[in-house]
Amino acid sequence: MLALLVFIFIPVLAGGQWVKIFISTGCFILAAAGVAFMYARLGMVSLGQIALMGIGGWVMLRMNHAFDLPFEINLAVAGAVTLVFGWLLAMPALKMRGLYLALITLMAAGGLEVIFSTFRFPNGGEGFWGVMPSVADPFRRPTLASSDADYLRYIILAIVVGFLIIELHMRTAPGRAWAMIRRSEAAAYASGVNVVYYKAWAFGLAGFLAGISGGLLAGGLGLLDPATFRASESIMLFALMIVGGSRGWLGVLIAAALYRIVPALFNDWGIDADISLIIFGAALLHAIITAPNGLSGQLIDLFSKESKRT
Amino acid sequence: MVKRTLTLLMLAALLLGVCSFLGWGKPPKVVGLFVVSGMAVGSLYALGGIGLVVLYRATGVLNLSNGAIGALGVMVAWQLQQWQIPETATWIIGIAVTTLMALTYGRLIAPGLAWRDPVVKAVATLGFALIVLGITAFAWEDDIRKFSLPSDKIAYTLLELRITLTRVIVVLSALVIVIAVWFYLSKTRTGLNMRALADNRDISALIGIPIVKTETIAWGISGLIAGFTGLMFGDLVRLEPFVITFMVIPAISAAICGQLRNLGAVLIAGLCIGIIESMMTLSPVLKSVRPMAPFVIAILVLMWVQRGRTNYFAGN
Amino acid sequence: MKKMTLISLIAFGSLSMIGTASASDAVCGLDNGLLATGESIKVGGIYGNAAPGDFSAATDAAGAYFKCVNENGGIHGRPIEYMVENDQWNPELAAQAAAKLVDDEAVVAMVGNSSFVEMSVNAPMYAENGIMAMASGCAVSECFESSNIVSTNQGPLSSSVGAAIYAIEELGATNISCIGMAIPSVGNWSCGAVQSYMESKGLNASFVLLNPAAPDVNSALLEAMASGADSMLVNLPAGLGIAFLNAAEEQGIADAYSWTSSTPLYDASVPKALGSYWSGKLFISAELTTIDGAGPDNQNWLKVMDAYANADDPRDTFAQSGYLSAKYFVKTMNQMAPEKVNDRAAVTEAIQGINGYTSDLMCGPYYVGKADRHMPNHAGMIVEVRDEAFHVVRDCFEYDGPYFQPILEAEKALGLR
Repeated sequence: MLALLVFIFIPVLAGGQWVKIFISTGCFILAAAGVAFMYARLGMVSLGQIALMGIGGWVMLRMNHAFDLPFEINLAVAGAVTLVFGWLLAMPALKMRGLYLALITLMAAGGLEVIFSTFRFPNGGEGFWGVMPSVADPFRRPTLASSDADYLRYIILAIVVGFLIIELHMRTAPGRAWAMIRRSEAAAYASGVNVVYYKAWAFGLAGFLAGISGGLLAGGLGLLDPATFRASESIMLFALMIVGGSRGWLGVLIAAALYRIVPALFNDWGIDADISLIIFGAALLHAIITAPNGLSGQLIDLFSKESKRT
Repeated sequence: MVKRTLTLLMLAALLLGVCSFLGWGKPPKVVGLFVVSGMAVGSLYALGGIGLVVLYRATGVLNLSNGAIGALGVMVAWQLQQWQIPETATWIIGIAVTTLMALTYGRLIAPGLAWRDPVVKAVATLGFALIVLGITAFAWEDDIRKFSLPSDKIAYTLLELRITLTRVIVVLSALVIVIAVWFYLSKTRTGLNMRALADNRDISALIGIPIVKTETIAWGISGLIAGFTGLMFGDLVRLEPFVITFMVIPAISAAICGQLRNLGAVLIAGLCIGIIESMMTLSPVLKSVRPMAPFVIAILVLMWVQRGRTNYFAGN
Repeated sequence: MKKMTLISLIAFGSLSMIGTASASDAVCGLDNGLLATGESIKVGGIYGNAAPGDFSAATDAAGAYFKCVNENGGIHGRPIEYMVENDQWNPELAAQAAAKLVDDEAVVAMVGNSSFVEMSVNAPMYAENGIMAMASGCAVSECFESSNIVSTNQGPLSSSVGAAIYAIEELGATNISCIGMAIPSVGNWSCGAVQSYMESKGLNASFVLLNPAAPDVNSALLEAMASGADSMLVNLPAGLGIAFLNAAEEQGIADAYSWTSSTPLYDASVPKALGSYWSGKLFISAELTTIDGAGPDNQNWLKVMDAYANADDPRDTFAQSGYLSAKYFVKTMNQMAPEKVNDRAAVTEAIQGINGYTSDLMCGPYYVGKADRHMPNHAGMIVEVRDEAFHVVRDCFEYDGPYFQPILEAEKALGLR
């Protein structure tokens, strides 16, 4: 319902600036959804999600400038390639959990940051890296959604599909397997769950979501800049996901809104970038300390209390 | 013990292998230059990593704000120098500010998170890092500054490369910290308390270990180290808060190589990472991605350490 | 430092005395002393200010000049409303800022832009919307090789080639090592041009690239030393450049090579940060005239800054550049028919028609023209770092070399040569 309302009204009501803000927020909702379900369902921490998004975005731009294929095919390739990278990341990660797992994903993000900042993102140049020292070639958006407002609708649709995919997983075999693994890997193994397979599947799914969101982000701007995909940004997204709450879609929406809408608002109000960093850091600390289930947990508690009272 | 030696051996083999691969066919003089230069950089990673591990061992917090508070400390020291305050006083005040920041976090914020997931604890320190970085960047707007120590003026020549006394101090102090912390943890009462606390906080509390006091000491020590590291980074890397703050990420890789436990291994790993990174300059293909070295090495070491484990029983 | 000064000023309660516009003798726009009234003309500007750098000097200076213009007859009597946005070096914020200014606020042109992130993100958008950006702080190739952006400053390419020319002609360099950033549209682009210049003269050059975030500058220094060069050209942002020179000082090799640098090191804080070791050893290419230049336009810039900018706004090359962009913009607008000044297409047409504007701030003439690339500023001067200050050692000279050939052709076609 909500998605439908948002779908119809936001692109019409918002100005050019806000449509752009919502486009990038939308992309990060998908990425955050990947981190959130890994954390909530499997207790696995990924501090490399934004770096994976960078891979998705890179593939998307590479495909766009190399071939004359439609947007959706490029997006699918971007998702698939990032899924494979998600698996690669899963290989060492399968043996670890907790802080070590988080750190190995962070190290991967750090390495990718160096690659992105050295080789940049394709903009229509020659060769494998496809970078030329000139203005980027045009990016082809989906034929149905070439304007910013339509593209925002397209992204909202993609988010709904993404959420449905996660939901579908939860309600079928992988979801049950993940629940078991979260309890105890040994028990899951004993009861016949293929632990390796399902854990890799989870990494692949999170990678796929990151790839899609990176590809969509590339479409939003027409090009990408390595500054978006720093390792510290991946930590930030995870931190905000904790603030928002990892269970359920509301937390994910809050996380992405904090990640993209709040800084844009601060900037629009003319708050100094350094001051907004302070506010942001303080709010982050405060939320982590006072709301163990995240802001969404608090909101849900609030509503359930209200409804009990009436 | 056998396993640890094996890990170190494997690291040494990796180092030798990579260095001989990269340095093959180059005059030994050139290789020597890069090795010494790499050690100079590696000692910085090591120092950063040691600061992280000391606190992690005692409190279970991986403090991502180490770089940020160190940056604040060195900026304060720089500012005082501009006001013509004697140099020694500026260093002491700079380190004191850093220690105070670490204690503030350790006393006021960290206890509220004591029972949370270690990752959440680490992520919360990022919030603190942002606050400190914001304050520092606001107080000292972007400008060109230089922080230098008197030891920069004294230099020695090692394998034809000039090394300033400051760099020697970094290596020596890293070594001293490793030994001092080892001695402290194994020979003193509070050290014992710290080890107990790190192993199991609940039980430590039950048997009457003064948690607050022990943790405060741990945060204080880590603040001291962070302050010293900040001064060194400000002198040897760049006096830019943003750069110093995020030096913590490559420093984590040195900490990982020591499995967040073994300070000696952190020191050696830091040096190895620096040498390999520096040697990569010799390869025309790899030189543009030199800064990847810490991350790739950390991943390789982690995979090596975990090699014996089956895929089914993931642990920490 | 800016804010520290501000804070201490507030503490002393003396702020109210500073920055109030007085009847100064600054010359702006129509210079008739009349306050502009009526419907305002919207003009946009985007700068970057967040860690790790503050590039707001150009928009600050442009804003000061516009304020002065509004008190001196405006544009055909109408005031300019200058709307500036900060992109915080974030590509998404840059796109949002441009959408706000170009789509939502419908500005007629962009003036004083000085964020290099913004340039590469928004260049296609400006072209699509038929709006011109009279930028002041281009640093990446995308900015110069774009149809709708023209910058007053030189950027790393021109400035390094200028430094290389000086190194050859005055310092006897035969083999230059250009130390640049490992970013294709910055380091490879500008050091590549230095290399092709050297080759066109039958000399040698190589380049060493540094990753912007790398803590280690030593190995780049060793690499440059191993290249067999006899001259080093530092082509890095100021902070990294200082770190690189520090490493060179540590090795004590200042006398073994000749040292030149592109413009980023031409900054008031640099001589002090470098210290006495580099005195008389480093030669820097300046893009515009020196800050204390005696020319009438430079003096006017300083007066405008004193009367209309905040006391703590920097007086540096970027501020000069922002002033100059704003000045040329106002001059162009005042030459247009009064009823057309709110029509973006007409304004774009008028800016593209700029030809042969001169000022003592810039060594050569300023022009725009309809072209796929714009680089009007390719002549500069050289300053030396000596006794904690800058001293001009070579006055205005033209750069040449393969990269500038098409630009010189274009200038011939415009009748400038």
